[in-house]
Amino acid sequence: MRWSPLARSESRTVLTSKGAWILASLVVLWGFRPTYAGWDAVGRNITVGYIQIGVDLFLPIGALLVSYQSLIGERTTGSIKFLLGLPLTRTQILLGKASGRFVGVGAAIVAAALALAGIGLVEHGPFGLLPFLGTLVATLLLASAMVAVGVLVSTVTRRTVTAATGVFAYLLVTLFWTQIVTSVYTAITGVPVDPYEAPASGPLFLALRLTPDGAYNVLTNWLLDVGNSAELFHIVATKLAPGVSVNAFVVEAAFDGGGPWYLHPALSVVVLLVWVGVPMALARRIFTEGDAL
Amino acid sequence: MSSSAPAIEADAVTKEYGDVRAVDSLDLVVERGETYGFLGPNGAGKSTTIGLLLDYLRPTSGTVRVLGKDPRRDVVEVHDRVGVLPDRFGLYEDRSARQHVSFVAEAKRVDDAPESLLERVGLGDAVDDDAGDFSSGMEQRLALAMALVGDPELLILDEPFSGLDPHGVRRVRDIVHEETQRGATVFFSSHVLGQVELVCDRIGVLHEGRLVAEGTLDELRDRTASPDDATVEDVFVELTDARVDDGGERR
Repeated sequence: MRWSPLARSESRTVLTSKGAWILASLVVLWGFRPTYAGWDAVGRNITVGYIQIGVDLFLPIGALLVSYQSLIGERTTGSIKFLLGLPLTRTQILLGKASGRFVGVGAAIVAAALALAGIGLVEHGPFGLLPFLGTLVATLLLASAMVAVGVLVSTVTRRTVTAATGVFAYLLVTLFWTQIVTSVYTAITGVPVDPYEAPASGPLFLALRLTPDGAYNVLTNWLLDVGNSAELFHIVATKLAPGVSVNAFVVEAAFDGGGPWYLHPALSVVVLLVWVGVPMALARRIFTEGDAL
Repeated sequence: MSSSAPAIEADAVTKEYGDVRAVDSLDLVVERGETYGFLGPNGAGKSTTIGLLLDYLRPTSGTVRVLGKDPRRDVVEVHDRVGVLPDRFGLYEDRSARQHVSFVAEAKRVDDAPESLLERVGLGDAVDDDAGDFSSGMEQRLALAMALVGDPELLILDEPFSGLDPHGVRRVRDIVHEETQRGATVFFSSHVLGQVELVCDRIGVLHEGRLVAEGTLDELRDRTASPDDATVEDVFVELTDARVDDGGERR
């Protein structure tokens, strides 16, 4: 492929940066969290849960920070003039940028997952291979979605500070996503949302899992077989335990039967793929139209 | 068809940024094998024109062809056959000179040895040094080495003498001669007018986005009624001091 030298260059940039390895370290340090709740929920598969905990918090911000400068950085330094002079279409430049950054972030995050797996193996013994491999794939899917968002931010903006503001705004929105969704739901329906006794509303639950990290949690909770929710696995298990009340949105706790079809956890793969495809399509549309400088 | 087409053709090319017209109805033809000097004061539109030739920028109106191809539609083929030394560029600070040249060679799918290209531009003893430690002259030499990758049919050099010491200037001049001997076309913009005189077959003078004069130095001297021993600088000042009316003729 024409763009593979660019992709190799981009992945080398990520892998030789401190950022990628700080991200990997934070995922391991934050993720390794042995708790009774976690152990009670999934037993030895708590090792897989460690990956979910670390990735859920740090992968989105880490992948965004690693990728949001991919184009804007070249614009501000002027190296984009060499990049644009290569025998590549602008679409190929975007593909090279995104795939290279993804490989870099992906390699760092796989290293973190393997480190957690090693620690878990020593601490708790063997865990399920299928949930582990499935979680690894889901993690890479989340990484590719976040890199796509980062590349989009980098394409849309003309100044680094604007791009950084865009990243911050995205993180803020996803951080408060539950509050935003429940407030909007209440404003539209007039029904107050009590997270301890959440209303059995399909659209409400669907909205809660539309962020990349929400979809990731739904998917990995499904792989861990703890319940259908965008919360972390041990919170979902606690919510579904008899006689316990926590403020979490879990499908099985709100609906009789499994809820509407569109809340099936497997559809979170579609949500993540949309988060890969739509930002890349938008970035392509913007980058291929008009001036590139 | 494209093999005999001019190296560069611009037909009524205009580039506007809002109310500002950076390039105004530019008609330009650079034949194969020529060394063409593209001169103009700061802000005349030289770099914008080069951006349009390379599809960095898109014209508001008019058409551009490079080596007989549309630089937008045929960007891969055009960039494969063109070497570019841009103006006001930045390098990848944490990468060596060798890595910079290798990167372009890989993208162009050629097996040029980075060492020999870097030797040619005078960076033979800095092959594995990081570009972040380079002086502006060394950066310029490295960018020239990158432009030379793959023996391009057309070299587009935007201010190639910028930041160079006299040795560097002479080396660039020698390389331009070597490249034209090889059969390449060289199109460059420059403020270093004395060098233009030594290197170029033809000169085009851009002023306020319009090509106000074009020809050999002798032709430009005749046109400006300059004395026979007038330098490029004398002719340039004469041409760009004058106002330009709507028809593009000097008053």
